[in-house]
Amino acid sequence: MKLTYRLAALAALIATPLPAVAATIEAVMYKNPQCSCCESYAAYLEQNGFKVDIKSVNNLSQISSDAGVPADLEGCHTLMVDGYVVDGLVPIDVVKKLLTDRPAITGITLAGMPTGAPGMGGEKAGTWTIYAFTKDGKAPTVYATR
Amino acid sequence: MSRCSPSIEIAKGIRVHSDFHHLISRRGFLVAAAVAASASMRPVRASATEERRIKVAPSQVRFTGPDGPHTPVWAYDRTVPGPTLRLRQREPARVVVDNGLDEDTTVHWHGIRLPNAMDGVPGLTQQPIKPGESFVYEFTPPDAGTFWYHPHADSLVQLGRGLAGALIVEEAEPVAVDRDLLWLLQDWRLAKDGQIAAGFGNMMDAAMSGRVGNVVTINGVALADQKVRAGERIRLRLANASLARIMALRFEGHRPVVVAIDGQPCDPHEPDGGGLVLAPAMRIDIVLDMQGDPSKRYAVTDDFYDGLAYTLTNLVYDTGPPLRPHPLDAPVRLPANPLPSPDLARAERQEIVLQGGMMGGGRLAGVGGMMGMGMPGMNGEAAWAINGTSMTGDGHAGMAPQFTLKRGATCHLTMRNETAWWHPMHIHGFSMSVLSRNGSPVPHRQWQDTVLLAPKDTIECAFVADNPGDWMLHCHVADHQMAGLMTVFRVT
Repeated sequence: MKLTYRLAALAALIATPLPAVAATIEAVMYKNPQCSCCESYAAYLEQNGFKVDIKSVNNLSQISSDAGVPADLEGCHTLMVDGYVVDGLVPIDVVKKLLTDRPAITGITLAGMPTGAPGMGGEKAGTWTIYAFTKDGKAPTVYATR
Repeated sequence: MSRCSPSIEIAKGIRVHSDFHHLISRRGFLVAAAVAASASMRPVRASATEERRIKVAPSQVRFTGPDGPHTPVWAYDRTVPGPTLRLRQREPARVVVDNGLDEDTTVHWHGIRLPNAMDGVPGLTQQPIKPGESFVYEFTPPDAGTFWYHPHADSLVQLGRGLAGALIVEEAEPVAVDRDLLWLLQDWRLAKDGQIAAGFGNMMDAAMSGRVGNVVTINGVALADQKVRAGERIRLRLANASLARIMALRFEGHRPVVVAIDGQPCDPHEPDGGGLVLAPAMRIDIVLDMQGDPSKRYAVTDDFYDGLAYTLTNLVYDTGPPLRPHPLDAPVRLPANPLPSPDLARAERQEIVLQGGMMGGGRLAGVGGMMGMGMPGMNGEAAWAINGTSMTGDGHAGMAPQFTLKRGATCHLTMRNETAWWHPMHIHGFSMSVLSRNGSPVPHRQWQDTVLLAPKDTIECAFVADNPGDWMLHCHVADHQMAGLMTVFRVT
């Protein structure tokens, strides 16, 4: 299964021009064992050049809290990638922008599970606000909107 | 000061009772004959009221044994779990509860069919017990079996900080087993320093599987071996007092026989697939014939959550020869409890639909969450609903009943889970005959007060509405209850 994912990722790498992020990027995803959309999101990441190690945990909110994600902005899983926290169903172009720009923040988050987001079904409704957060007690700031 | 005078009598009651309990626990291995003998040596009590007094207050415990770190908890009589209350079937009990917390509390006698005013739901069945005040609970348990008690005020925090205890109602005639054991299971979310983690009421927990923890204790202790003897027959009472953790227990090398669910005897049977699924608030009594080898260890594991199986404990056989060459011959069936039989032909049909949560498909739009950011439970809003209505919290005055039943009528209740999550649905004041799951008849004549619904499950059950009052029906994943998965029905 993992090999299939890697091949798919490789195919995606060859097929898609990735100017900033060229090599396979390792990521660790912490998710609730009973949440299925996170697995779809992991597959989406793997199709876009990532290799995702999925770890099921029962204390996701504890992990995301420890990772600095503001309690009212939690996404449905927590991803650790290349020194950043990416929480929730953040679209791939925003993740890649983060890893390319490398701002001085702890991570970014898309709260909740908006309909139409990667990994979710349905039609996108309204604007998604992806917030940047730090661990220094400052208020989250808008990182991107989609 | 007038409140103090009855405590002298009650204190006597406690001493008598705990002496007896102590005697049992020190005896160690007993043969069935000895159990019968000890029963006949009990002090003669001609239906005297069993008097107890319990204090609710902060305390400290060590989950990992005498060398482990102290964890501040809230406790009944300073212990976690609280003292095991042993009552006798059809004999009256009077329990005084003193509130030593800084917040209101109540006690719910989970699974006991009792008068509505004794049910312990704040606002709905009683005024909450304020700090420094007391409340007298009086009831006569009609059913023998394994029950438990816990707060119904600030439920998520109070249960999560340790307030839970077993309530065992003994059969009029003792059951033929060598030992009668209780495992009260509690799940704790501890931080790295061994303290109970902050974050009660986190919206992600509330809208997903609840505050599942990272340490599971048996009778207040994590990962301690359970000593057993070859050849003995054990009645093991399993009670899941967790906030949210569902368990699927497997007994390596052993074949547990289920004899009661939620305190109510059923046809003795081995569980499907060998695992015992025990959701929060559920109890299962099993009979275990210890047919393993002396000196060997057998793991008891919980593999409910995919990829997160762990060893709960080990059954460790002592080195002695088997107590008897063959398993005990005595039947394992428990005597029936006096439950009224539903009259399905003339039943009143009611339906409860569970809605909301993460991946809930936006069903909660209009009652709270699932709008805008798609985060149910955000900003203190409801994450869940029953039939489109979210009752949040623990219970309060003026909760309008979802439906009303005429006293004596049979209620044929359908519970439909439209959500993507598991829900142990608890009915107050009644035990329900579980008829079918997803159209298939449920075997073994199971009566339950807490019925676990898997995602998308439909359960049919029935009960006789013989007990007047406003009764709660709610999910026993504490976060789910607090965030809207609760309703009330009335029996006139």
